[in-house]
Amino acid sequence: MPLGLLKYGLSREYPAPRYFRDCTQPKKSYDAVIIGGGGHGLAAAYYLAKDFGITNVAVLEKGYIGGGNTGRNTTIVRSNYLTPEGVNFYDASVKMYEDLSEELDLNLFYSTRGHFTLAHTESAMRTMRWRAEVNKHVGVESYVVGPDEISKACPQLDIQCSGQAPILGALYHAPGSVARHDAVAWGYAKEADRMGVEIFQMTEVTGIDVKSGKVVGVNTNKGYIETNRVLSAVAGFTPRITDMVDVETPIVIHPLQACVSEPMKPWLDTILVSGSLHVYVSQSSRGELVMGSSLDPYEVHSTRSSLDFVEGLTTHITDMFPFLSNVKVVRQWAGMADITPDFAPIMGKTPVEGFYLDAGWGTWGFKATPISGKTMAETIARDMAPDLIKPFRLSRFEDYELTGEKGAASVGH
Amino acid sequence: MKLLQCPINGIRPLSEFTYGGEYRDMPDPDTCTDKEWAAYVHYRNGAPGLKKEWWYHGPSGTWFIAERDTMTDKVSRTYIAGQEEKQ
Amino acid sequence: MSSRIAKKRGEWINRDKPLTFEYEGQQVQGYEGDTISSALWANGVKVLGRSFKYHRARGILSFANHDVNALMTDGEDTNIRADVWPVSNGMKLEAVNTDGGVIKDKNKYIDYLSPFLPVGFYYKTFYKPKRMFPFWEDKIRKAAGLGKVNFNYPRHIKPKRYAHCDVLIIGAGASGLSAALEAAEQGFSVILVDENRQIGGSLTYDLAGDPAATDTLSTLQAAVESQANIRVIIDAYAGGYYGDNLVPIVEKSGITKVRAQTVIVAAGVFEQPPVFRYNDLPGVMLGSAAQRLVHRYAVKPFNKGVVVTANDHGYRTALDLASVGVEVVAVIDMRRDGAAQDITQKVKDKGIAVHKGSCIYEAVAAGDKLGVKEVVVCPYDETTAEADTSRSVRLACDGVAMSAGWAPAAALLYQAGTKMRYDDSIQQFVPAQLPESVFAAGKVNGVFELKARMQDGRRAAAEAMNYMGKVVAVDSVKQSLSSSPSHPYPIVNHPKGKNFVDFDEDIQVKDFINAAKEGFDNIELMKRFTTVGMGPSQGKHSNMNAIRILARIRQLPVEKIGTTTARPFFHPTPIGHLGGRGFHPHRYTAMHQWHVDNGGEMFEAGIWMRPGFYTPAGVKLSAADAVQQEALAVREKVGMIDGSTLGKIEVFGPDAAAFLERFYTGKFAGQKVGESRIAMLLDEAGVMLDDGIAVRMADDQFYVSTNSSNAATVYREMQRNVQLWKMQVTLVNLTGAMAAMTVAGPASRSVVEQLTDIDVSAAAMPDGAFRTGKVAGVDARLMRVSFVSDLAFEIHVPYKAGLHVWNAVMEAGKAFGIRPFGTDAQRLLRLEMGHHLISHDTDGLTNPFEAHSDSLVAMDKPFFIGQRSLKILAKKPLNKKLTTFVLDQGFNGELPNECNLVIDSANNISGRVTSISYSRYLNRHIGFAFVPPEQTNDGARFQIRTDSGAMVSATACNAPFFHLLES
Repeated sequence: MPLGLLKYGLSREYPAPRYFRDCTQPKKSYDAVIIGGGGHGLAAAYYLAKDFGITNVAVLEKGYIGGGNTGRNTTIVRSNYLTPEGVNFYDASVKMYEDLSEELDLNLFYSTRGHFTLAHTESAMRTMRWRAEVNKHVGVESYVVGPDEISKACPQLDIQCSGQAPILGALYHAPGSVARHDAVAWGYAKEADRMGVEIFQMTEVTGIDVKSGKVVGVNTNKGYIETNRVLSAVAGFTPRITDMVDVETPIVIHPLQACVSEPMKPWLDTILVSGSLHVYVSQSSRGELVMGSSLDPYEVHSTRSSLDFVEGLTTHITDMFPFLSNVKVVRQWAGMADITPDFAPIMGKTPVEGFYLDAGWGTWGFKATPISGKTMAETIARDMAPDLIKPFRLSRFEDYELTGEKGAASVGH
Repeated sequence: MKLLQCPINGIRPLSEFTYGGEYRDMPDPDTCTDKEWAAYVHYRNGAPGLKKEWWYHGPSGTWFIAERDTMTDKVSRTYIAGQEEKQ
Repeated sequence: MSSRIAKKRGEWINRDKPLTFEYEGQQVQGYEGDTISSALWANGVKVLGRSFKYHRARGILSFANHDVNALMTDGEDTNIRADVWPVSNGMKLEAVNTDGGVIKDKNKYIDYLSPFLPVGFYYKTFYKPKRMFPFWEDKIRKAAGLGKVNFNYPRHIKPKRYAHCDVLIIGAGASGLSAALEAAEQGFSVILVDENRQIGGSLTYDLAGDPAATDTLSTLQAAVESQANIRVIIDAYAGGYYGDNLVPIVEKSGITKVRAQTVIVAAGVFEQPPVFRYNDLPGVMLGSAAQRLVHRYAVKPFNKGVVVTANDHGYRTALDLASVGVEVVAVIDMRRDGAAQDITQKVKDKGIAVHKGSCIYEAVAAGDKLGVKEVVVCPYDETTAEADTSRSVRLACDGVAMSAGWAPAAALLYQAGTKMRYDDSIQQFVPAQLPESVFAAGKVNGVFELKARMQDGRRAAAEAMNYMGKVVAVDSVKQSLSSSPSHPYPIVNHPKGKNFVDFDEDIQVKDFINAAKEGFDNIELMKRFTTVGMGPSQGKHSNMNAIRILARIRQLPVEKIGTTTARPFFHPTPIGHLGGRGFHPHRYTAMHQWHVDNGGEMFEAGIWMRPGFYTPAGVKLSAADAVQQEALAVREKVGMIDGSTLGKIEVFGPDAAAFLERFYTGKFAGQKVGESRIAMLLDEAGVMLDDGIAVRMADDQFYVSTNSSNAATVYREMQRNVQLWKMQVTLVNLTGAMAAMTVAGPASRSVVEQLTDIDVSAAAMPDGAFRTGKVAGVDARLMRVSFVSDLAFEIHVPYKAGLHVWNAVMEAGKAFGIRPFGTDAQRLLRLEMGHHLISHDTDGLTNPFEAHSDSLVAMDKPFFIGQRSLKILAKKPLNKKLTTFVLDQGFNGELPNECNLVIDSANNISGRVTSISYSRYLNRHIGFAFVPPEQTNDGARFQIRTDSGAMVSATACNAPFFHLLES
């Protein structure tokens, strides 16, 4: 029993303060307005305040904080990407995550468990080697392993996958982790609020006021706010925001679904991903299996669930773990993923002065929360994107300079 | 699984269909600028609303257009491309 | 059988079939038809489990699968829900999540630590210093979780069933049965689903002590049974609602996917517990749970009990209890005004005291918190939710029945998109706006009175029929309730807490108050911070009270708080049920069995099975040797590969050539009949997607091949563009209809000419020529190709003739030393020839300029897919290019692998190996790599880094590589 909990049993008054103030009515103007109170928007607010002393900031959230993809993803954090720019970027995020509980003074349950991307075909093995080689080059601990090493880490896995898709090997990524997703949003909200950032829930942006190519304010359901700098960090709602400023992007919205099992005693210590079987799975600290699959095949702007998804996923889960037949799925849900053609985000400036974009996070946004917050804060503060995110600029599409992540078309989560 | 009306084969389960993306008019490659072409190739109308989309009925090999609200996922009508008026 | 009472009308147990099972080492008697919990309760066993967090002893709460107090394992399976799972002879059961048995559980000490485990305590500690987190995390992980998984549990495959109907009705209570009859009588097909083992819903147990009350059920039951249009599925639940009225019905034997024209949700309500200290002790249960025990299983819930209620249902419960001889000490009514006069009088007539405006302040635990021994009753102030402890009385009892209100079983309605509103007159969420083919009836629709429920069922069915086009009158339903079925705030504050709201997750009232103090004061944040409703019962017994508590904290009406989203599944659903039988189909070529019989090592190539190489019977051969021998046979003699997996598409019609001109990068308009040309396909961004060969069979007929893996997509894109471009073209996909084989090597002509009437001489049939004629007596298409060797013939014949022709070629080739070769040798042979493979040597961004394919791109054509993008790309400098390379002669170091990187002198990544192989024929290692453009010149040197980090020198070298033999 840690001593930190003693006060809760011994105090007469509940000893914990509010995480963040109950802000209801925005002021007339702010130095910056952040649209979207998910992990990314809140992290950007936090680093604006912490790194640049810009605290006169409003975060506008149309629902409740962390209620979008931050609270819907399967919480995997990793950096085993294919391109050096991708690996560098996500590696910076992993390193920030490792210290984030202490920094935000909140236990994020950041748990490094190791991550296996299983390969069932020779061509998948080639891609694993490609990723391993690029990772090693950049200094990230990833390497190709054989079935024996996979079995050692996860003896319950049927390496033959019930004879349907025998596992030939895997890309092992030692820093692969999971975290408590909600807490990431709450932690950033708490510390941003402490430094003066105002967080408005149930506050929806209805328009962005652009004059002579420059942002001058935003319209909300709580009135007009003057500001020269607006960050859009709204994932699945990005096209609705970019339409307000007539900025074109390649982003399309596809639902991404996930489900959890009932809790059981811990047995799965690692994170497993199979691109061929379209499965990723880890076991949460509550004992639930958290399971996801690939994107839904067509555009929908809602978070409805489908039976097809859970039927396909569970078929493949039982190929991998035949003994789970009678373990039960408790709940399925969906998020709205903002997909780009090259499986990389869109970050930085846009043709509209003062309108900054943090979008295109598809299925990989949670793992980038700290670094995207930090680099977008810098972009806003300096009106210039740092080198780390230059490969992710919006103009790359017009320039036919898509990121190489498209090279391996089906990289898992 | 949802149902979708193939203009040739009638109502079939969605698992028989493949989504082919939004139907978009191609700019004239001879007269458009590089920028316009790049925008056509890469940019999409990502906001929700009623869209004309390509769908393909696999078992019969039929491409057709579905007018679908991407917010509610309701299809208002389907027809073979170019035969819109006949429906 | 201490608590079992005399046989009752309508009981669900079969007294002729007694059985015996074991629970925590104790022998227990039950009957067929008992659930595990009912049998245990009948035997006086009341500790059925330990709670998730505090390891508190728990008994029956809802007895309806709306809580998970009683989860058990039989050693084989785990998390068995004892409240609803039938007992069987010889079962050996234990409660899950205990250490040392359910009574002596060593983890029960955690209950005493609870003051130090505030809401969300795990966020507040364990992370400083960082290095200690893994230690704490390990402890938390071990403490969390419920049952242990059995890693040897067999894989169950439960095939899916499908059903269609006009009306799917979920819930076979009074309203559901009435709806079913109404629709069936009008000729509509009905599927009626109920999760219980008998139909009837609350008609089977909520009798208010009046045995005649079951007459209504008997009448409905008989009518439904005699109605041919109604299919009843019992012991099954509707798992969720999905688009276009798809509802999976989950039975123990598997899932039936029902597609219905209309859906009527008549799923009733979940009883909600009043909240007071120690409302979780074994023996404290919901009123409806007590009624179910009594009427379905003939079990006394307790001997001497108290009913606490905040609605009239508690009075009905008291009457049911009294009717089987339970001594009901008192009805404690939290409402100041009590119940209606008539029912109050009935209760008083049984000698039961009624205390209005009172509450149970706390239940007092019997020894070791394994039961209840008395309750502390105090005056209750409904406005403040405070008990007046100065005027408390203690009532001795061994059980408590609780009734406070209901929450609608509206999960499927929410999933269908129903907008709900909060009805103040009944203190319940009810449907406000339903989707057009979905209807609600009965209690879930806010209709409680029995007669009105039956009318409401008929009304919903009438609306459903109108939706389906049959015009029938819809009668509106009126009910006259004397009081609200649900109480607006059945909560009793207690300074010491342990007044549980969520029994799955051990969440008390103060947890909500404290969560709100910390800022988690909207329902979604509160759910996530407190975890209310996130346990296996998904808030069925807890969400409504949580909403009420939050509304009071925020001083807002309940409607403003709203509800959390109800996701599938209604009950947790087995993975094996959902997964069903997985389909992993493969395609076999016409020669498949021959390959298998002749030592072919078959592997999955996309959807096809193909031989990688052959190890003939009785021959000891390593894979590498087999591949080299097969390749050598092609170089020196003759070999044959099964190429049936190639995509094969016929393009007919007046616009056939014009279509290919637009579709592919090359020129086809001037192509002569009998000639072949390379057909390369790009996407709109100019990325290479596929390459194949297009032969012209007639002015208006082409025969086009594609890569094996792209057959379906290329055909599909052709179809789309024919429609889009409005061209007069007909496409026929012959991929599966035609078998194909390639005979390659210097002796290939000698082999083929024996079998065909086509003139295959060099003069008559140059490279690229296409002819039709007979091969081995079969109508065949014959093509000179040069993918794997300079001299090769591709033979296409109908699928059914494939094996015959293959055998004929093998026979004719015998004298020339013919060998079959697989895809591995093919890879090597094409590499020796210098041919790249799209999507092996290229990736998702590679354009033709980067792949040395400029010559295949006719930029001077008016249009082809990707052309406009290539015009843009042509203006940009290339930063990588595909090159062929060799390793040094005699190289014997660590061999680079495909996807090893090319590293430049500044230690930057400058490229990547895409193919590499040793060629015994050339006695060299050869390959393809992406390198900076300047390093593609013949003789340029670059460095490849191997897996272990060693650097290997490679030299760009023109292909085909055969010139190496001359040096």
